[in-house]
Amino acid sequence: MKNTNANIRIAGFTLAVILGMVGLGFVPPFKMFGMEFESVDILSTLRAEDSMAEAMEDHTADFDLLDMQLAAAEVIDTLPEPIPVRYEWVVEHTANERRQKLRSEDMIPALQQYVYFEDFDTLATTRFDNFIAKLADGQSVRIAFMGDSFVEGDIVTCDLRDKLQRRFGGRGAGFIPSDIPFSTVRKTIKRTSSNWKTYSVMKSKDAPETIRERLFISGYLAEGGAGATTRWQSVGAYPTLDSCTQARILLISRDTSRVEVLLGDSLRKEFTIAGDERVREIHIEGPVDDIRLRVVDGSVMCYGASLEGRGGVTVDNFSVRSNNGHAIFGTSATVNRQIDEFLGYDLVVLQYGLNIMQQGQRGYSKYRDQVRDMIAYAERCFPNAAILVMGVSDRWVKNAETNAYEPIGSVDALTSFQRAAADSCNVVFWETARVMQNHGGMPAFVSNGWAAKDYTHINYAGGKRIATALTDAICYRVFTHLFEREEAARIEAERQAELERQRELEAKELLESQINAVAPIIDSIGWSDKANNRDNNEE
Amino acid sequence: MEFLQFDSGLWQRVVSLFTYDPTSPLTLATGFFLFAFLVFALGYVIVKRRPNLRTWYITLFSLYFYYKLSGIYLLLLGGVALSDYIIGHRVAKRRERGLGTRGWVALSIAINVAILTYFKATGFFVDVLQNIYKDGLLNFEGVAVPAGVSFFVFQSIAYVVDISRGTIKPLRRFMDYLFLLSFFPKMFLGPLVKAKDFIPQIEAREVNVSRDDFGRAVTLIAGGLIKYAVIASALGALFVNPAFKGELGDSGVVALLAIYGFTLQIYCDFSGYSDIAVGVALMMGFRLPDNFDAPYKSATITEFWRRWHISLSTWLKDYLYIALGGNRRGAFRTYINLFLTMVLGGLWHGVSICYMAWGVLHGLALALHKIWLRINPWAKKRGEEMHPIVRFGATLITLHLVAFGWLLFASAQQAPKMGVEDFDLCLDMINRIATNFRAEDIIPSIEASGVAMVIMYIGYVLHFLPKSFNGAVQRMVTRSGFIGQWILIVAVVWIVMQCSAMLVAETGVAAGLPMYADY
Repeated sequence: MKNTNANIRIAGFTLAVILGMVGLGFVPPFKMFGMEFESVDILSTLRAEDSMAEAMEDHTADFDLLDMQLAAAEVIDTLPEPIPVRYEWVVEHTANERRQKLRSEDMIPALQQYVYFEDFDTLATTRFDNFIAKLADGQSVRIAFMGDSFVEGDIVTCDLRDKLQRRFGGRGAGFIPSDIPFSTVRKTIKRTSSNWKTYSVMKSKDAPETIRERLFISGYLAEGGAGATTRWQSVGAYPTLDSCTQARILLISRDTSRVEVLLGDSLRKEFTIAGDERVREIHIEGPVDDIRLRVVDGSVMCYGASLEGRGGVTVDNFSVRSNNGHAIFGTSATVNRQIDEFLGYDLVVLQYGLNIMQQGQRGYSKYRDQVRDMIAYAERCFPNAAILVMGVSDRWVKNAETNAYEPIGSVDALTSFQRAAADSCNVVFWETARVMQNHGGMPAFVSNGWAAKDYTHINYAGGKRIATALTDAICYRVFTHLFEREEAARIEAERQAELERQRELEAKELLESQINAVAPIIDSIGWSDKANNRDNNEE
Repeated sequence: MEFLQFDSGLWQRVVSLFTYDPTSPLTLATGFFLFAFLVFALGYVIVKRRPNLRTWYITLFSLYFYYKLSGIYLLLLGGVALSDYIIGHRVAKRRERGLGTRGWVALSIAINVAILTYFKATGFFVDVLQNIYKDGLLNFEGVAVPAGVSFFVFQSIAYVVDISRGTIKPLRRFMDYLFLLSFFPKMFLGPLVKAKDFIPQIEAREVNVSRDDFGRAVTLIAGGLIKYAVIASALGALFVNPAFKGELGDSGVVALLAIYGFTLQIYCDFSGYSDIAVGVALMMGFRLPDNFDAPYKSATITEFWRRWHISLSTWLKDYLYIALGGNRRGAFRTYINLFLTMVLGGLWHGVSICYMAWGVLHGLALALHKIWLRINPWAKKRGEEMHPIVRFGATLITLHLVAFGWLLFASAQQAPKMGVEDFDLCLDMINRIATNFRAEDIIPSIEASGVAMVIMYIGYVLHFLPKSFNGAVQRMVTRSGFIGQWILIVAVVWIVMQCSAMLVAETGVAAGLPMYADY
């Protein structure tokens, strides 16, 4: 009898412990001795965690692979080129947009509360300075804005693009994927697509290897056979969005295929894309505000198209939902580098962190290390681009007891870890949360209608505030750049003038001393005016 | 479409829960284990009295446990078991016929040592080669070490050697041997079991758990969880790791406290996990040997090695020290053998200067102590035999000798994470203590790491409580019955979960494997 009890006890005891823990799960969070005790959830250990931590394990930085992929990109580049990488169609030639050189007074700071860039470029790689200099000189500049759902639908970037294009020139909405596996609303472009099979980097496990090995930082790759079609149409939401003069369609055609491109309803051209592993660009100059791509024959993998002007600023929005930035490790460095050869990025923005934040968590050293890897990865893929790390945005959460919203309490901590990552990688950091706090923080955003009621996601109106502040920060750098350059030029001019004066003075003195030296001789010979005069008088 | 995707996601999640995931290996201190153990226990009630079925049942569960812990290396475990099972029978047969068994024993040892060397030392040799040839010659990734490889390899060697020595008979069925090697509570971090002690338990007709046993098991598990998942984790995450990394400043006070902290941390981590293992096994009716006996109470270094990782030091004594000749070849060889045993024991932890220095330190200390005992007939081997005042002094000295050893050990452990040479880190710590130790730093340093210091204080106090205290607690737990034990375990699990949540909030890193998992 006693033994039977003992035998069953082990199972009964384990069950009782589990039930006890489940019961304790109903104890609400409380504070005692200054420590916060959370509700425990023993069942959570059973739920395979779909937490961020696990999702991030899908893509981890593999720099050896990166090296291999980059080497692959190099090898392809040095091959003799029997197969073109670029297919051109010039409908009407448009000259490069040339801007007048800016002067510092064009850039006089406007806002009171500036959030400046924190430039940690202590190694003087001057990548960011080069970006600013190009803006100041009116050269064409391309920005890759990589982010999460915070900037989905072109939030923030649409206003950033608008403001930069107004100041520094440029047109068009930039890069738009050919297809996205879910429906989104983007007010800066109209895209309709059909018959594609589209894969996302966030679910690259589900994608075939041919796709998985070829993902671009856009995060989406569409594969389609004959009949697959996408139509990109400019919209007039902002004055600089339409009247685009140049389009680039980026695709891979592993076997020879035929695609047709339609501009509007009348202009049509068919391209036979010879089979090759490289990313190819169909480059179109002309009226490209309504452009259609259709696969006629064969099969292509299409990244998307970029609608732009010739010259000025182009801003590409690469938002991938619930990406913490780690998805970049799932993209192909070969593809990134090849596309960079076409588009030439000057700035890569990393806007992440919203999904990684946990209420009250103050340590993010693991994430900091990941941000470092992201920066290193982006630097390697885009060798000419400066990297800008944006701090996490402000976020409030609902208190389960009081039903009131309170600060999540980890924005500052995460921001400081992101800053530390930027610092150690010698790149530029910009504190997004400060901009929001200058406006009164998340509650003010919600009450002004600038953010959703979840106290997490801002809307277009909120994005505009952040875009304004970011533009101001850029303009301030351009201003200081121009000002320093003008100052330097002024000082140089003054120095030159001074030198000139010196030289003239010296020449004069030299002349005078020579004259003084020869005067007595001339006198003695009697050739001087004086002598002549005397002679005349004597006559 | 959305729904379908969610659905397939759910299925994937369920599958992923039961498949090996290198980022969340299964240990005895995880929530998943609690549920797995419930499922196991429900079936165990039925198979408990049928030895055959019981062996199969536990072995299959153990293999699954190992799969969750180490993935594909399951095959390695199976391979070792199979090869030594066969060799064991060969050896026994030759022994019966009065033939030599050396060749077969050597083969077994060669296989096992080769496995161990491959996983332990490959990284080191690749490093050396890469340092010589710079990069480019070899493109070799580090080898992931299978969990608990040393433990099953050691036990497998012991099994074959024991058969050749005639102390045990080989197990009849392969499944029994696989069971011996893979028994899940002890498989990961020991204690190492001796085949001689364990075989009778495999063959027993019925395993019984008395009231006392159950009370002892509950006490061990509760105490082990507190030691392993609260004291060791918190001390490591909040104080020791940042102190070694220099994140708490370069004060000598902090460096010294970090060494004391690590001394407590490594004991709590390892002995805590061992206690859980012994407790879980005991709940199932299996008796595993004790692995620790309050080691820092030791008054001499010889005593320390009888109280620290007892199952390993016994193994080293039985199969390495004695194989080297033990004390049968004169006093001088005895000292040399002792010394060599410890150096090899040190190198087993990893091929690096600091681990070797650790082995040299302990080997020298043990040999010198043996000489001391020989010269001074009045000298005592154990603290209990000493005068209390002498004992106090001796304990203090021994503790500091051991703590200095742990500094070497900790440097070897921490240095790779920091990307520095382990010897440099060790010198740096000593340098901090020697040149930057200021009395006025003591109070602020302690205040700055308040929680960790309180935990450290409590940890040391609990450690130095007399043994009778443990006995009293155990009796109390036993007497408190089902309800009392239930309350105790639920409370401890709750504390552990709170602690791990707080540590994650504080450092952003979830607790990983036990510290000894790498060895």
